[in-house]
Amino acid sequence: MKINDKIKIRTVAGENIVIMQDATGSDLTRVVALNESALFLYNQLLSKQFEVDDIVRLLTEEYEVNEADARKDAEAWVAEMKKNELVL
Amino acid sequence: MAEATLHIGGHGLHLCGGDTVEQAMRIPGMKVFEVESGKWKVESDMEIRLDSGAKLPDCRWLHEFDIIDGQQRCRFGVDTEGTYYYTFDRHGMLRYREGEGVDIDMKGNVEALRFALWTAYSMMGVKLGALPVHSSVVVCNDKAVMCLGESGTGKSTHTRLWLENIEDTHLLNDDSPIVSIIDGEARVYGSPWSGKSDCYLQEKYPIAGLLRLEQRKENSIRKLGIVESFAALQPSCPPSLAKEEHCMDLLVDFISHVIEHVPVYRMGCLPNADAARLSHKTLIG
Repeated sequence: MKINDKIKIRTVAGENIVIMQDATGSDLTRVVALNESALFLYNQLLSKQFEVDDIVRLLTEEYEVNEADARKDAEAWVAEMKKNELVL
Repeated sequence: MAEATLHIGGHGLHLCGGDTVEQAMRIPGMKVFEVESGKWKVESDMEIRLDSGAKLPDCRWLHEFDIIDGQQRCRFGVDTEGTYYYTFDRHGMLRYREGEGVDIDMKGNVEALRFALWTAYSMMGVKLGALPVHSSVVVCNDKAVMCLGESGTGKSTHTRLWLENIEDTHLLNDDSPIVSIIDGEARVYGSPWSGKSDCYLQEKYPIAGLLRLEQRKENSIRKLGIVESFAALQPSCPPSLAKEEHCMDLLVDFISHVIEHVPVYRMGCLPNADAARLSHKTLIG
């Protein structure tokens, strides 16, 4: 899988957000906020092909987390990112 | 050559050109914002040239929409050099290049000209931190409350309920006031664009809060965090700006600044006096 390179992360009043481009200008703006670890993964994985194993490795290297928990977090992150079309 | 200077949203707007300048100044509300020469000096940081004979090059068209209740089709686009263009059906066009002001060529149609001037203000204003925000605005205790929401949500109804039920309130604008950031502070100004209400006031106020309205079966109000505040304000800003990357960067900076300094609320409401009392109690106290 791959990060959707059409999206842009913007800083709004200290929050890292993605504005869903297809929705802008309509009466419903959809905004997705990225927390610190989601932003870390985004930055590390941008313009690379990756699998869940790569995310697990990144998380265990960066954070004090065991592999089982990291895998759970990685799968949740991928599901959330795919749902919002931030990962294709 | 004809010319006129207006003071709108804390910025000086200089119009120059031929007959269209006089036509522009006859649009209801415009005269209220005119700076009488010699009486009051205003630095103009927005320049609009009318009747300049601008030509339309090849453009990448980014946004198409209708104005004046669907009677006119407009397009927004950008050329290879980063100059922005709008077309207004057969009536004319607008050209804007950052730092060089706006050229408008418009024949005959007053409503389209009114919209073109609003568009010109939006394009130049977003860079200066001043932007029309689609809202109905009421003033109480020298503070403004801005009602936002989709068309037909009841923005004007809610501000009317304030006027009828809360003492010492008045309407500032019923469609498109200017939110302007000057010296770091966000204020709301009256404007010559006020929908069907003819409410054109050369006044400015600090903003007590933004109120995103939704019709509900009971009244409720909730203060929003940053992410929801952004999503609440962005749809009320000029839509074309969100269609182009650089304009969007400027728009995001503007919204970011506003929501850092002004509280944003989501309100579910009925069209009754209690709704006005609830928002008054929450925002003004």
